[in-house]
Amino acid sequence: MSAKLETYLEEIGHYLAVGPGREEILSEIRSHILEKAEESGGGEAALEHAIAGYGSARRVAERYLEGREIIAPAFQRHLFRYTAILFAIHFGLTVVAVIFGKTFVIFPFVLVPRMDVIDALMYLPMAFLADLGLVALILHLVTRSKKDIKLPWFHFSAEAEKTARQAVSERPGRIAGPIAGTLAMLALTAAGLYVYSRFGTIFGVILDIRNSWDFRPFFTSEAGRTLSLVLIAAWGIGTFISFSRIFSKSRWINVVSDVVSLAVVGVFLRVPFDEVFIYPSSEHVRSIIKNSAFGLLIFIALMVTIDLLKNLVLLGRAKMPAKR
Amino acid sequence: MTETELGTLETEMNRGFLQILVLALLEHDWYGYSMVKHIEGMGYKIEENTLYPLLRRLEKNGWIAGRWKLGDDRPRKFYAITAEGRKMKAGLLDLWKKQNRILEGIAKEYDHVR
Repeated sequence: MSAKLETYLEEIGHYLAVGPGREEILSEIRSHILEKAEESGGGEAALEHAIAGYGSARRVAERYLEGREIIAPAFQRHLFRYTAILFAIHFGLTVVAVIFGKTFVIFPFVLVPRMDVIDALMYLPMAFLADLGLVALILHLVTRSKKDIKLPWFHFSAEAEKTARQAVSERPGRIAGPIAGTLAMLALTAAGLYVYSRFGTIFGVILDIRNSWDFRPFFTSEAGRTLSLVLIAAWGIGTFISFSRIFSKSRWINVVSDVVSLAVVGVFLRVPFDEVFIYPSSEHVRSIIKNSAFGLLIFIALMVTIDLLKNLVLLGRAKMPAKR
Repeated sequence: MTETELGTLETEMNRGFLQILVLALLEHDWYGYSMVKHIEGMGYKIEENTLYPLLRRLEKNGWIAGRWKLGDDRPRKFYAITAEGRKMKAGLLDLWKKQNRILEGIAKEYDHVR
């Protein structure tokens, strides 16, 4: 028996995976190829020719697997939309877990442990894959049931959105905004770097510009330095993001922008406010500043999260084939 | 129309045609390779890697029955139509004739336009 034929059959078997009748299928193909090769004169060359004529192993196996899709075509468009919605919820819980230091468990679907920003950035890709897997599993079970189940479909006025985006892209001077934004962010980053290089922090107030810039920092030197660098880095990234918008209208740019913003807010929220303020010395005023800063950061985080969820859902929807 | 487009349409049309062809042919016992040769002899070509999965599906549906026989020096799986398969074949042939009549009727109707 030719080793080439056995290798070929083994490859077909690999694509067929384990299933009833696998050995019978391979026996039938073996019998066919051997007979065809014999009719063509026999020998290795004839056998190779017969194997080549039968087609690639994967193609052959796929013919047997037709009609056995893991997810029925009617449900395939649900995969990314449902995943986007589930991930949006997952993401929101993650943001809350980071900000408030809470753990969320909805057994066996969701486990969002208490974590910091860096942990969250590593956790989210895995959460996305888990969500995708869960949705795929459910759609697979629905497919296997072979019942005419009508899954809910969420309409987000896709056509209106598309038209609006087209209108924006066709508007004269479309790039004027991103250019202005880039210049503004560049100026802000440059100013931040200048102030930082001069005072070691960007958080403070100049009381008398004529008297050698009488600069009074808000935070202790170490906290001021760290927070300043984080904010300047975020501005730098913001400059790059604005610059990217000149060339592309991709929603991914908005997603990156939102993630960077959330990471910065997360870093600031983790600062122990009681230990970093220099001014004012009054406990009452310090408390007001602390609570105001905390409230402002939470508000920014919520707004950014909402925008991020919106962008993720729209991205998920954009990946869907058009409804037929 | 390109050859690729024609090929794609032919593949789609073949799906139904091959089922009728195989059911009609299996009034006698045939095994896969002998069917390929026989069909080729009638002036039609059937892809080998299309025929066997089709036979498997028809067998799974109970329209044909297969059994292994040891002939010459190797085993071969012979197929034959079942009673259920005959009913299916009759239904498919009726459908095919009806479709043919419709197409011929349309062709006649538009003959004067050409």
